Amino acid sequence: MAANKKAQQLARQLFKLSLVDGLVSADRVAGVLGYLEKLQPAHPLAVLKAYQRFVAIELAKSQAVVEHAGAVSGSILQTIAASMTKKYGRPITASTRANPKLLAGLRVRVGDDVYESSVSGQLGALAASV
Amino acid sequence: MLTSLFLAAVEAHGAVTGASEPGLIEKFGVEWQFVLFQGISFLILFGVLYKFFIKPTTATMEERQSKIEAGLKYAEDMKVQLAASQQETATLVKNAQFEANKIIEESRKTAKDFADKIHKEAAERAADQMAKAQQAIELEHKKMLADARTEIARLVVTTTERVLAKKLTEADRASYNETAAKELTNA
Repeated sequence: MAANKKAQQLARQLFKLSLVDGLVSADRVAGVLGYLEKLQPAHPLAVLKAYQRFVAIELAKSQAVVEHAGAVSGSILQTIAASMTKKYGRPITASTRANPKLLAGLRVRVGDDVYESSVSGQLGALAASV
Repeated sequence: MLTSLFLAAVEAHGAVTGASEPGLIEKFGVEWQFVLFQGISFLILFGVLYKFFIKPTTATMEERQSKIEAGLKYAEDMKVQLAASQQETATLVKNAQFEANKIIEESRKTAKDFADKIHKEAAERAADQMAKAQQAIELEHKKMLADARTEIARLVVTTTERVLAKKLTEADRASYNETAAKELTNA
């Protein structure tokens, strides 16, 4: 338990070293991985898993996943990316993922935040309000 | 006394007849010495009789008389005490009867109060149970309505989703997506 906590603390310190201006830097990440490979800290697997999770969470904050049913034009994606960049104050890129369960409309995920305007969501809200 | 009267009569007769003729007393051969001796003997006999017979007999009679009087007095006292005791007994019986009637009356009143209390509690319990049953029925009714409403909404939504999945065209979806994008970016 104590070893796992120490691994978490080391991974958090390494993750903070991987940021440049609040963004994950590929060069820094490569440097951190080289450091880990070279020095081999205690419980390296646990440190690497925790480090990967921190990096993935941070990258998810910089990426807007747009779920959609039906066609989505490039201009829509650019508009969403620009809006989220402005909202969060950091560069956010948009990626698409088809989701027929939405019936029509969009669901945007940025990190843990979800924004939705879809037929499925409105029907769900209607069922919940009855 | 009789003797003195007899001697006086003899002397009077002697005075009438003269002293020359023997008196009647002499005729009868009465000697003063014998008479005196007999009187003294009588007195002695009387004293002895009085000492050993009359006086004890009188004392015994007086003692018996006193005993009889004491017994009569005791009987009278007992009679008075008996009357007082009977009166006291009658009073005690009367008081006891009064107390018994009072206790019986109180017992009846207590029993009546207890019965009334039991009836009241039973009525309250029955009313409480009725109220709880009514509340349970109302809650069950509301729950049933809520379940039915939820189920109907679920069926409506499921049916609507199926219909929309079949009826919406690609153009409709694209148009909706543009509207959704504007809504999301403006939010």
